[in-house]
Amino acid sequence: MTAEPPPAAGAKGATLGARVEKIFDHASDTRSLFLSLAGGKHLRFIPGQFISILIPLGDETRSRPYSIASDPEHRGPFEICFNRVAGGRGVAWMFERRVGDTIDFSGPFGAFTLDRAPEVEAGFIAEGTAIAPIRPMLKRALASSPREGAPPRIHLIHAAPDREHLLYASELGEMAKKASNFSYEPVIAPAEKIYDRLFELAQARWVLSDADRTRQFYICGVGKGVIRLRDLLRGAGYERRAVHYEQW
Amino acid sequence: MAKLRIQFENGDPEKIIEFDPAKAPFHHDGKPGSILDVMLGHGVHLEHACGGNCACTTCHVIVRQGFNKLGESSEQEEDMLDKAPGLTPTSRLGCQAVIEDPDAEIVITVPRYTINQVSEAVEE
Repeated sequence: MTAEPPPAAGAKGATLGARVEKIFDHASDTRSLFLSLAGGKHLRFIPGQFISILIPLGDETRSRPYSIASDPEHRGPFEICFNRVAGGRGVAWMFERRVGDTIDFSGPFGAFTLDRAPEVEAGFIAEGTAIAPIRPMLKRALASSPREGAPPRIHLIHAAPDREHLLYASELGEMAKKASNFSYEPVIAPAEKIYDRLFELAQARWVLSDADRTRQFYICGVGKGVIRLRDLLRGAGYERRAVHYEQW
Repeated sequence: MAKLRIQFENGDPEKIIEFDPAKAPFHHDGKPGSILDVMLGHGVHLEHACGGNCACTTCHVIVRQGFNKLGESSEQEEDMLDKAPGLTPTSRLGCQAVIEDPDAEIVITVPRYTINQVSEAVEE
C-alpha cells in the first residue's frame, strides 16, 4: 500500500493525477468521466465522498468538488458525473476534457457518507446528478448485511425533469428487483417543481404515514430545497443526526 | 479596518490581514466577507475542498479571539462542524464565518490536519 502523507491544513493539499479513460454522455448536458490513477493504483474512498478537481481558469486555479459515482469496491476507473451549469466556467472546462487527458485533484473529501448497511429503515432522496454520491451508498448498504434476520428497508426517491436525467435508472431498477428490502421510486417533475414534489413525497411516506421516527435519511441536491427537506424531517421528530444531507 | 490574525498549527509563520469588510467579496469562494474569502483574497491559503460551499470541514478554524464578532453559524454549518476533527467550542468553518464589524480583531488557528486528509487515499 502506498500512503500519501497528510498535508498541513495551512498548505495546499496533496495532489493526485488521474487519466480520463472513458467519457459517457447520459444526456446532452450531463456527462460521466471515468478516471484512473497512475500505475494502476486504486483510490480509496467512502461511499458519498467527492474529489476536489483543480481547474485552471485564466491565471488562477480553482478547486471544485465532484462526487464519486462509482462504488469503492470496483477496481477499475472511478466515475464522476456532472451537468452543465449556465455560466459555469469550471464545468465548461470539465466538458472540454478528452480521453487521455490528465486531471489533477485532491481528496477524497466529505462527511456525507455511508460506510455500512443502515441498522434501521433508511430513506434516500436525490435530484438529478445528485444521485452520484447516493449510488455508491446504496451499493454499500445493500452489499453489507447489518445483522441476522430481515434487513431494514431502504427506499430511494430520485427526481429529474425528464427520463434521460434519471441517471442509472435501469441499474437502480435492477437493484430493486434483486434486493427485496430496496425500493426505487423514480419521479419526473418540471424543474421548478422538483423540490415541491420531493417534499410532498417525503412528507407522505415518512411523516404522515405513521409515527415511526427511528428512520435515517440521506438527502442530496441543489439549493434550498435540500434544507426544506431536512427541516421537514427534523421538524417531524427525526433525530438531527439521523438526517444526513449534502447541499450543492 | 478589521484585523484577522492567522496562526498555523503546522508551524507556518503567522499572518496578519487588515481589511475593510465593506469591500467584500475579496475572492470567489465561501461567503463574501468570510474568513476564507478574506484569506484567499489576501493571498493566504486555506483548504476548501468543496469550493467553500459548506459541504466539508477542510476550512475548519479555531477562533481564539473575537468569536462573538463573527456572524452567527447556521444549522448547516453546525451539522458540518460536528464532523470536524479537533472540534472546540469556538470552532467555525472558514467559508461560513463572516466578519462584518469594521473594528473586529479576530485571531484564528488553522488546525494541522483535517479529517479528510488523515486517510490513506491511495493503495496499490
